[in-house]
Amino acid sequence: MAIAQATGEYTNRPRDELAATGASLLRHPMGTFSAFDTAAKLQHTKERLYVLCQLSGWGLFLVIQFSFARAAALVNPPQLGHDQMLEAASMVMVVLLGLVLTHYARPLITRWGWKQLGWRSLSPRIVLMAAILSLLWMAAGFGYSYGVLQLPWAYKSNPAIVVIASWLNGMGLLVGWLCIYFFYHIYEQLQRLQVEQLRLVANIKEAELRALKAQVNPHFLFNSLNSLRALIEEDAPRAREAVTRLASMLRYSLQSGQLETVTLEEELRTVEDYLALEQIRHENRLRVSWQIAAAARTQIVPPMLVQTLVENAVKYGVSIRREGGEVMISAQIEKQSLIISVINPGELTAPSNAASALAGSSTGVGLRNASERLKLLYGDRATLRLFSAPAGCVSAVVSIPLPGSSA
Amino acid sequence: MKALLIDDERLARNELRRLLKAHPEIEIIGEAVDAADALSKVEALKPDLLFLDIQMPGDDGFTLLEKLEPPLPLVIFTTAYDQFAVKAFEFNALDYLLKPVDPHRLTGALEKLRISRAGPAPAAIAPRRLAPEDKVFVREGERCWFVAVKNIRLLESEGNYTRLYFEEQKPQLFRSLTAMEERLDPQHFFRANRKQVINLAWVEGIEPWFSGGLLVKLKGGAKVELSRRQAQDFRERMSL
Repeated sequence: MAIAQATGEYTNRPRDELAATGASLLRHPMGTFSAFDTAAKLQHTKERLYVLCQLSGWGLFLVIQFSFARAAALVNPPQLGHDQMLEAASMVMVVLLGLVLTHYARPLITRWGWKQLGWRSLSPRIVLMAAILSLLWMAAGFGYSYGVLQLPWAYKSNPAIVVIASWLNGMGLLVGWLCIYFFYHIYEQLQRLQVEQLRLVANIKEAELRALKAQVNPHFLFNSLNSLRALIEEDAPRAREAVTRLASMLRYSLQSGQLETVTLEEELRTVEDYLALEQIRHENRLRVSWQIAAAARTQIVPPMLVQTLVENAVKYGVSIRREGGEVMISAQIEKQSLIISVINPGELTAPSNAASALAGSSTGVGLRNASERLKLLYGDRATLRLFSAPAGCVSAVVSIPLPGSSA
Repeated sequence: MKALLIDDERLARNELRRLLKAHPEIEIIGEAVDAADALSKVEALKPDLLFLDIQMPGDDGFTLLEKLEPPLPLVIFTTAYDQFAVKAFEFNALDYLLKPVDPHRLTGALEKLRISRAGPAPAAIAPRRLAPEDKVFVREGERCWFVAVKNIRLLESEGNYTRLYFEEQKPQLFRSLTAMEERLDPQHFFRANRKQVINLAWVEGIEPWFSGGLLVKLKGGAKVELSRRQAQDFRERMSL
C-alpha cells in the first residue's frame, strides 16, 4: 500500500536530514521550541492514550461479560453448587490475561516492523498472531482453572468443542484488537504525512522567498566600479563618497537576505545611494525627484522592493534612452495602505495588467520577482501594477496593507 | 592602429583612454556615445579597431556590427557583466574585456590582435569587393560569428535578409542578397538564380538539368538549380 510505503521511507530517513528539519524549525521566527521536546511530549501523550484505551477496552469487555453472565443466570438459573464468586474471579482472570497478552504483543509488532507493512501483507500476520495469542490465552485460562485449581468441568458440551469454540472466540477478539491498533497507526501516519507535507510547503515557500529577494544587479555593480576607477583620477573626493555609498548599498543588499521587512526610511536610504551611483555613470542623463510623505517613512516594506522598482525605472527609463530621463519616486498612505509609485519615461508595450505585463520578457525578472514576493508575504492584499502614465511615462505602483488593516 | 571608442558612459571612455596611453601604437581617432553615433563615425573615420560596449541606449553593440558595412574593423568588446554576451563570445575567437578593465588583459588582447592580423591591415578604401579573408558579422539568437567570406558556401535570399551557409551553421545576415552580391568578388561568387549565390570554390559536381539548365552540387550537400541562361554564364565562367 502506497501510504504505508511512503511512511516507511519517512521513518527510514537519514538522521542528518531529520536534524536539518529540526534546525529549520529552530530558525523559524515563530517558534523558539525545539523539535525534540515536541517529539518527546508527543510520545508521552501517545503512551497515555495507549494505557487509557487498553484499560477502557478490556474494562468494557469485562462489564459485557458480567452482564451476559447475569442475563444467562436469570434465564437459566444455575445448577446447584455453582460458585458465582469463582465464576466472576475466572472472568477477571481471563480479561487480565488478554490485557497482558496484547500488551506484550505490542513490542513484538514494533520489533518485526509490522507498522510499515501494507494491509495485504498485514492481514495474514494479524490472523496468525491472533490465532497463536488466542491459543496461549486459552491454554493459560483452561490450564489454570482445570489443571491447577482442579475445578469441576462447568460446561455441558464436549471439551473439544468448547476448546475450539473459545479458541475461535478469542481469536476473533484479538483480530479486533489488532485491527483497532493498526487502524490507529495508519491514521497517525497519515496525519504525520500531512504535517510533513505542510512543513515541506512552508520550507519551499521560505526558500522561494529567499531566492526572490533581489540582490545588487551585477551589471550595475561592475559598471559602477568601472566608473569609480575613472573617477579616482578625475574627482577623488567624489570617488571616495561613491565608495562609501557602494559599500552601504552592498551591506544592505547582503543583509536583506536575513531581514523579512525594513522601514521605508531604511529602504529609501539605499535607493538614494543607488541613484547617486547611477548618476555618476549617467551624469545629467539621469534626473531624480522625490515625494515621500512623512507618515509613509516609518512604514514597513519588504527589503529591496523599492530598490527593484527604481532599478527597473533606471534601466527602461534612462539607460536605454539616448536622451535619458527623470525618475519620480513617491510614497503616501491612502485608505489603510502604503502606496509607493515609481515613474519613468517610456512606453508600456504589454497590457496594463501587471501579471501578464510581468510575464513578458521586456519587463524583466526583477519586477516579476517583486510581485511574487509580495504575494508570498501578503497574499492578495498587496499588489504591484504597471500603468501607462500620461506624458509618455510608465508608472509602477505598489500597494501594501498597513499592519492591522484588513484591506 | 586607429581606434574608435564606443561607450555611452563618459567615465568609461575616459578610463579606456587612460589605459590605452600605455599602448602608443593605438591611436584614438574618436569616441562615440551610442550605435547611431558610432555608425556615422566608422564611415567617416575608417578606424582599424573598435572598442565596443555591448549595452548602450538605442541599438546594442551586436546590432551595430550587423549594420556596419563589411569589411569590419577589428573589434574588442568591453562589457561590465553580461552573461549573454560572454556566452556569445565563447563560440568565437572574438575578444572581450570585462570592466573594470585589467591592464594586463588589455595588453593580452592587443597582442592577440597583432598575431591575428598576419596579412596587411584591411585597406580602408570602401566600398570595395570583399577579399576571401575578410569577415562578416552574423548573429542568430544567442550566438554570433565573424565568418570569413571564403568559408561561406551559399547565400540565400530571404526578403531583406540573406541566409548564410557555412560550416554547420546557417544564420541570417541583416542585409539583402543584392546588397551582399555587390560586395562579393565575382571571381569567387556566382549568382545561380534569383534566390541564390554560390561560392565557386565549394562546387563539388555539376549535372545536366531540365531544359538546358544545370544542377550544381556543393560540398556540404546543398544542391542549386541553374536556369538555362544562368547555366550559359556558368559554363563560360568555369571554362575560363
